[in-house]
Amino acid sequence: MVACCAGLLALGTPIAAGAAVRHHGPSHSANVEERDFHITAPTRLPAGAVVLRVENKGPDDHELLVVRTGARTLPLRSDGVTVDEDRLEPQLAGVLEAGQPGSLRTLRLHLRPGHYEMFCNMSGHYLGGMHARFVVHR
Amino acid sequence: MMRRGPAFRPLASRGRRAVVAILVMFALFSAISVILSTRATARSKNRATVVQVAARQRTLAERYVNDVLLALRGAPANPRYTAALLRKSSQALLNGGEAPAVNGDDDETHLSPVSDRLTRRQLVQQGRLVADLIASGNALLHGTALDRDRLTAGEKIDAANGVEQLRIVASLTENVSLNAARTIASRTDHNISNLMSLQIVLGIGGLLVALLLGGALVAATRRQTAHFRSLVTASTDLVLVFGRGGCGYVSASVATMVGRAEKDLLGLGYADFVHEDDRSVLETVRANGEPHEFVFRMSNRFAEWRHLEAHVTDLRGDRRIRGIVVNSRDITERVRLEEELTHRAFHDELTGLANRALFRDRLDHALARSARSQDPVAVLLTDIDWFKQVNDTLGHEAGDQLLREISRRIQRALRPSDTVARLGGDEFVILLEGTSEQEATELASRVLQRLRSEPVEIGGRDLVVGASIGMIVHPGGAGESEELMRRADVAMYAAKDAGRGRVETFRADMMRDASDLLGMEHDLRRGLEQGEVTVHYQPSYDIASHTIVGVEALVRWRSPTRGSVPPDRFVPVAEAAGLIHELGEFVLREAARQTVRWIDDDLVGPDFVTWVNLSAVQLSDRRITDTVYRILHSVGLETRRLGFEVTETAIVVEGSPAEQARAVLLDLHDRGLAIALDDFGTGFSSLEHLRRFPIDVIKIDRSFIQGIEHDPKDVAIAANLVSLAHALRLAVIAEGIETEGQLAQLAELGCDLGQGYLLARPAPASAVSALLAAQRTPASTTA
Repeated sequence: MVACCAGLLALGTPIAAGAAVRHHGPSHSANVEERDFHITAPTRLPAGAVVLRVENKGPDDHELLVVRTGARTLPLRSDGVTVDEDRLEPQLAGVLEAGQPGSLRTLRLHLRPGHYEMFCNMSGHYLGGMHARFVVHR
Repeated sequence: MMRRGPAFRPLASRGRRAVVAILVMFALFSAISVILSTRATARSKNRATVVQVAARQRTLAERYVNDVLLALRGAPANPRYTAALLRKSSQALLNGGEAPAVNGDDDETHLSPVSDRLTRRQLVQQGRLVADLIASGNALLHGTALDRDRLTAGEKIDAANGVEQLRIVASLTENVSLNAARTIASRTDHNISNLMSLQIVLGIGGLLVALLLGGALVAATRRQTAHFRSLVTASTDLVLVFGRGGCGYVSASVATMVGRAEKDLLGLGYADFVHEDDRSVLETVRANGEPHEFVFRMSNRFAEWRHLEAHVTDLRGDRRIRGIVVNSRDITERVRLEEELTHRAFHDELTGLANRALFRDRLDHALARSARSQDPVAVLLTDIDWFKQVNDTLGHEAGDQLLREISRRIQRALRPSDTVARLGGDEFVILLEGTSEQEATELASRVLQRLRSEPVEIGGRDLVVGASIGMIVHPGGAGESEELMRRADVAMYAAKDAGRGRVETFRADMMRDASDLLGMEHDLRRGLEQGEVTVHYQPSYDIASHTIVGVEALVRWRSPTRGSVPPDRFVPVAEAAGLIHELGEFVLREAARQTVRWIDDDLVGPDFVTWVNLSAVQLSDRRITDTVYRILHSVGLETRRLGFEVTETAIVVEGSPAEQARAVLLDLHDRGLAIALDDFGTGFSSLEHLRRFPIDVIKIDRSFIQGIEHDPKDVAIAANLVSLAHALRLAVIAEGIETEGQLAQLAELGCDLGQGYLLARPAPASAVSALLAAQRTPASTTA
């Protein structure tokens, strides 16, 4: 278990560098990578307009949902394998529909300061590890 | 002129290549399309099976979870079997092979390996998830905790218990299976779309190429049609094409000549412009495609009849023409020249009466009719008394005027059906058909009376005209024109002897001339043996350079008793007595020998030719060619140094070319001897003979040359003859040149050679040698 985490950290370092926040012009942009089954994204983002450049490195199709939440876990539907999006509707900051492996999509968000979580809600993907938390600061 | 040869075929070359190219392009495009469709269909079929198996993995994953849960509860279930199915199917999807049968669902299926990169990645991921699913199931069944390190698909599952983990991994497996199936399906759709696009491109490309080639074919056909049209329309030849409904095509040249629109001549419209007498031959041509050559008349826009020489080509069997092509050319000018020459050949220019040739022809026909009908035929030979004195005292002009008046008076005294001819000088002859001796005598008396009735005023003098008429009446039945003429001549001399101004009818006792002829034959035979017959030579000159380029050999007879006898007296006697071959051979041998002497003495140039006359009797003997060759060989003269002059009448029998004469002339010509047509313009003057016979030179008769200084008509005829001869690549000799004016006029007309008293009279060989030597001397000094 420790070895697995250490492996993930070792892999995560260069990826986190590639996902650094860039300050260009009035809106901020950030890179997000989706893989089977984890998400690599910056852990801090500035408030205001943010553009996420989401790349699916596959091999599966993946979607991306961004919710403003401080909870440790998200509520699930009765199937037990997908997040209940209806209950999260008021906190929803943005959604990207499923993209094919290799696709590069952008998601425009207007973020208020607070705690957020992004995840893929394809069947089992959230519980399989495809979620990432980040903080929006002023 | 349309010649027989390869038919006109617009699709023969470029067009046919275009058609072949269109067919090849269609075949190529179709083949590519079919191959692509077949391959795409096969691949689509395989992919459909792959999609089916990939989708089935989803169901199997679900079944496996249920089997594990049932097994945990102790219910009968076989999760291991389901796991095996999952694993095998996963392997088969990725690497190809047999996908196992599922109970109550599918049969065993053969799969091809997947080559698409994305699909392979998805199937690899599916394989990992299947492994993780089975590992999770086994941990649950065996009650052991699953070592997280054994999860291989990259999951990081934070599950509350083993069952939840099993469900999550199953869910992931189902998800990736579904995605793989979708990807395969979407790739197939994409490929089918590509194939459809490719086929559309191929179709459009094929259509464009076909249109381009078709356009090229149409353009090539149009060009060839335009080319053909321009050839036909620019040609002066007149082309008509006859089909079933009459004329189907006329060339623009026909419409221009007739002065009507082309459509007016189509169908049966053309017939209105064809001479009534020629319509039947055109009808025959329309029906049978024959005769292949004919002459017909069409009226032009000035309502003149034009003579057209037509060549017929039957192309009814040619599906591109389906008609009879009549290709004509206007030969009116040629026909008119022939008519003019023929008229002059058979009419006396001074009086417009028939001449000797026409009279003889009419007499022959009258005798032929008489042989059938037994009707009598009378010949009245009329000689004007004391005419020579009129000529001598008042001049030729007055003489001519008198002759014209005499001809008018004779004609007025006779019936329209009677024939009057002027034989030459002051000799007239009258032919009466179906007339008894009494009627003939009355008519003869009426002629004498009409001539004497009132004086003719000539040059301020009143002349009373008298004539002596010799008459012979053939009682009917077979008769000889020659004999009749001779007897009329005898009777005419009897009338003169009896005191002139009277008519004498022939009687047998007048035949003293006959014995005279016998005497002449005897004398001539002796004269040949004793050297009384000699050969004189009249030089012919190159008009431009005024040099002697040849001589005409002329036979002369000086009899000790008769004096100098002209050839037109003794040659007929020689012909009648069979002496002509001997005489001819003598002249030929003499002329050949003399020519050899001139050559040996270096007096003549390399193109010098000695011309010898050949009579009709000589031409009728086939042995003449051997005789000629034998003589030339014996004296050692090249054939090209000798030429023969023949008259048109000698090579024609009753208006048709004599095959015997033609064969002889061809033989001589083939051996290198030159042939000249003598007295041209006085016989039939058929230009056809110039083509049919091997003629090298034509000699224009002296009668044309005499008037050439003053008479525009003679100038026109001579000019026409010269240009005609040159067009036929013949040389022209003008005969009877007597004045400088005539020579100048001939030089202007481009006449090549000349002969006549002005240039040189006929003379013995020695005199001609002197002329040749005189001509040669300055040349040799300059050389």
